[in-house]
Amino acid sequence: MPNNLAEAMEVAGRFIAAGEEFDWIAGGTDLIPNYKWHLNPKPNVISLANISELNQLTRTHIGAMVRLQDLTENEEMHPLLATAAGSIASVMIRRSATVGGNICLDTRCFWYNQSEDWRQSIDWCHKCDCGTEADCRVIQNQNDLCVATYQADLAPALICLNATIHLASPNGLREMPLSDFFELDGMKKNVLNRGEIVTHITLLEDSYSLIGTYHKLSQRETWDFPEAGIAATWDGKSLSSLKIASTGIESIPRDHSEQVEAAIESWNGSQSIDELSESVRKSVKPVNNTGFQPSYRRKMVKVLTRRSLKQLGIK
Amino acid sequence: MTKPNRIPMLPQAGNRQWSASVNEKSVSKSIPSDAVLLDVLRDRVGTLGVKRGCDMGTCGCCAVLVDGEPRLSCLTMAAEVDGKKITTVEGLADGHHLAPLQETFTTYGGSQCGFCSPGFLIVASALLEKNNDPTDEEIKNAVEGNLCRCTGYQPIVDSIRAAGKILRDGKEATNPTDPHSNPHPGFKGDDS
Ligand SMILES: Cc1cc2nc3c(=O)[nH]c(=O)nc-3n(C[C@H](O)[C@H](O)[C@H](O)COP(=O)(O)OP(=O)(O)OC[C@H]3O[C@@H](n4cnc5c(N)ncnc54)[C@H](O)[C@@H]3O)c2cc1C
Ligand code: SF4
Ligand code: FES
Ligand code: FES
Repeated sequence: MPNNLAEAMEVAGRFIAAGEEFDWIAGGTDLIPNYKWHLNPKPNVISLANISELNQLTRTHIGAMVRLQDLTENEEMHPLLATAAGSIASVMIRRSATVGGNICLDTRCFWYNQSEDWRQSIDWCHKCDCGTEADCRVIQNQNDLCVATYQADLAPALICLNATIHLASPNGLREMPLSDFFELDGMKKNVLNRGEIVTHITLLEDSYSLIGTYHKLSQRETWDFPEAGIAATWDGKSLSSLKIASTGIESIPRDHSEQVEAAIESWNGSQSIDELSESVRKSVKPVNNTGFQPSYRRKMVKVLTRRSLKQLGIK
Repeated sequence: MTKPNRIPMLPQAGNRQWSASVNEKSVSKSIPSDAVLLDVLRDRVGTLGVKRGCDMGTCGCCAVLVDGEPRLSCLTMAAEVDGKKITTVEGLADGHHLAPLQETFTTYGGSQCGFCSPGFLIVASALLEKNNDPTDEEIKNAVEGNLCRCTGYQPIVDSIRAAGKILRDGKEATNPTDPHSNPHPGFKGDDS
């Protein structure tokens, strides 16, 4: 277990040089269940638990190893983050689960997040094919693309607060807006290269002038992953500050700026709220790989968007 | 189709010396460096009160206190809690007497088959440690990660509330759920 970032980079560098595969492990609440079901386990894991640099939490700096429960209990934090983090899993899981692990959550799929025997009974699938070159079970007759769903709750809230994500690797540091971090591929998931880690998220102090909402569709009120989630923020005055982002629908969380910009060009009160919600619905393409039917999830995207806009007091 | 080779859960890693205080006794064991806390507690330390329910983070049966905070031992790497203070359900009672929570779980029907009880007791004891007068809402929030297939939950909430009362007043004020609802309405007994 490395004790600081430099050591972690060194351990990762050693594995890379030796051609050995590894995963980072933060809280382990996603990785351990996946390993127990033999979902693409690697021969090595590097724990981030002892790296105190990653624990820092202030209004504008959220370390990757900050626990979700600390985010919900910290009164300094933006209320939107507390709401989104508070909707995740259950309180005991939130005490282990980290912000970095949540952002980097593995994509999920009904055909994949199953025990080994279950998966064997369907002859596996492309994402964990155990050397069989199995096809994807959702988009059939192909084994190039995995469309597993990104079902983490924090990302849309952070995107709406204009967060920046910071990465470190043996080759140096880089940063980008959070919405650019994700890649539309259920297996690659994000821009992280081998040996690269998320170190922290930053927010501008200005983000604290935004008000926000997060609405989550899930099978049960506690534990469950979002089947659809909509976050929205604005400054309470000007429509041009409005942001909407979604999660739980596709392989990445979506920033819906395009639909928002089109709608505010000719804003016309409550009719526009309906139209904008409809265009957000049209822009997402859920597939049949979570608990609820894709058509229902897509309809709910409209409902949740409308609910969010109304709750924000947008007229 | 030939069966692909199975990959071990956490592929072989070296051993490490692991020490912790479990129920106020210090233990030191040689464990695989990638061992999960639940396995270490059950298989090496012998605290079988920690239950393996789902092994996946959904049921709460495996909850233990790590430095006073409830955590799911099935999702915790043992190496991560090296040197910490761990309390399992065995550590709640002192000597021969049940803790108030254990007492009320028996009298209020908070435990039926009992498989979930270690988890509920651990989580509830952490709650009452911080706040011995929780509202029902606070109790429900605290146990949101614990599943019970038997009781229907209300008796568990009642048990925790009653234990809080004992902790505050040193005694119970009312009899448990008095009068008990009749489980067999219409049945008058053999000699009626
Ligand atoms: C019963 C149950 C219910 C759940 N419900 C929800 C839910 O409602 N919403 C939700 O969003 N999640 C849910 N989760 C998933 C999970 O608990 C959370 O997403 C959690 O935040 C993951 O964080 P972690 O620290 O445990 O991640 P880990 O399991 O440690 O890691 C997850 C992934 O991220 C990578 N990773 C972790 N940290 C970094 C880093 N700093 N840099 C690069 N890569 C990193 C790991 O390599 C791994 O691939 C649930 C899990 C369970 C078991
Ligand atoms: S989307 Fe296809 S390849 Fe990806 S996990 Fe699901 S079935 Fe497997
Ligand atoms: S065994 Fe740990 S939560 Fe079920
Ligand atoms: S008492 Fe049987 S599961 Fe709770």
